[in-house]
Amino acid sequence: MRNIGTIKLLFIIFILSILESFISPYLINFYVSLPITFLAFSLAIYNSNRNSNPLFAFLCGFYLDLISSSPFGLNAGLFTIISYVINSYVNTFKLFSYIQICIFFAASSIFYIGFKNLFISLENFSYLVLFVSLFFNTLLFLLIVMLRYYFPSMSIKYD
Amino acid sequence: MSRVAPTSGTKVLYFLCITISGFLIYLDLNYKSFEGIKNFYQSFIISSSYFFKNATVEPIKFLYNISKDKSDLINENKKLKLELDKSYISNFIISRDSKFFADDDSIKRFLDTNNINEVFYLAKLEYFDTEMYLCCDKHRAFIKTYKTNKNLIGRPVINKMGIIGHIIYGETLSEVLLLTDTEHVMPLMSGNHFCNAKGSGKPGKIICLYNNKVWQEKVSIGQEFFSSGMGGIYPKGILIGKVANIREIDENFVEFDIDLVSSPTITNIIGVLKSI
Repeated sequence: MRNIGTIKLLFIIFILSILESFISPYLINFYVSLPITFLAFSLAIYNSNRNSNPLFAFLCGFYLDLISSSPFGLNAGLFTIISYVINSYVNTFKLFSYIQICIFFAASSIFYIGFKNLFISLENFSYLVLFVSLFFNTLLFLLIVMLRYYFPSMSIKYD
Repeated sequence: MSRVAPTSGTKVLYFLCITISGFLIYLDLNYKSFEGIKNFYQSFIISSSYFFKNATVEPIKFLYNISKDKSDLINENKKLKLELDKSYISNFIISRDSKFFADDDSIKRFLDTNNINEVFYLAKLEYFDTEMYLCCDKHRAFIKTYKTNKNLIGRPVINKMGIIGHIIYGETLSEVLLLTDTEHVMPLMSGNHFCNAKGSGKPGKIICLYNNKVWQEKVSIGQEFFSSGMGGIYPKGILIGKVANIREIDENFVEFDIDLVSSPTITNIIGVLKSI
């Protein structure tokens, strides 16, 4: 996913948005929310070799606002914020272990879910969903990270 | 190559983008400024998928169908004949008129001669976001009527179980505000008891709040509530749901949940009432 092209990223966001809309109704029964599109975008920014433009993050979020049912500007703002955080601390992340990075991404996904719920589901805002999602997302990311050790052929090889 | 932290110029740009986002959210939530764009996008996606399906899946289906053996068709024909015979027996109205299935004119003649007036426009559920329905406050459905292109804003929408909402926006597709949407308020009654039921944002549940100093009659679990017709949108006397859970908010106010009898997910064929 290193230096992924804009068109490719937008297409991936589109596909993941559809996937998310299929998965979410099942996961919410277990009080879990998994913002796949947000995490894919964060991963793309994190893995990129150069700093992305703020407008790029803003327009990606705006695009997601258009294809999803969220209010205009919500994903645009959140994508811009995560882009800023990752670009600011990208060198610090190199000192982190995989567990710390997993916790960072899980925490950022919880921030995303909580902030989104403040706007689109204020009356059913649930701390239970946030805590369960934090636990679930952290475990999921750790599992994904561990896969590359157990199945080395699955890991992406960089030069 | 290592990445450098954002410069002050970039930080200003970040700040600007976040400010614009906040402004857009404010506009969208307060003035619904982007409803048109979203509806246009939804209708574009639905039309595209329809055309895509017509261009790809349908020809393959057609080829598959014509490649079937003649014997299969004969068997299917026999099966259909059997089903038709069964339906003649089970349906008294249909069995009265042997030419009922002949063509559209026969159906129209049947309706005219029996003085049956259509009271609704038949419509199809085109788009329904189940994710939003299960998780969030905004419960909307997008429908398309089969025959009419009239402006149907404010008309009640029903399915075979009862009322599911009313139309709030409509051009190519009509947007239905469901009873469970938190922006939806509906006056209800049960005997001499009246209250305004607000959508709870949860599937199949609406909430009524009333002042027990004004309405001293007690509400009980399982009590049936009906539309009062006082909102000017829904017809009077339609069963909406049954009381499920009663909570005393304070000494003056009592709140209770109503489990709806209807659900928008039960069928994709619905009706839009012509008038109340």
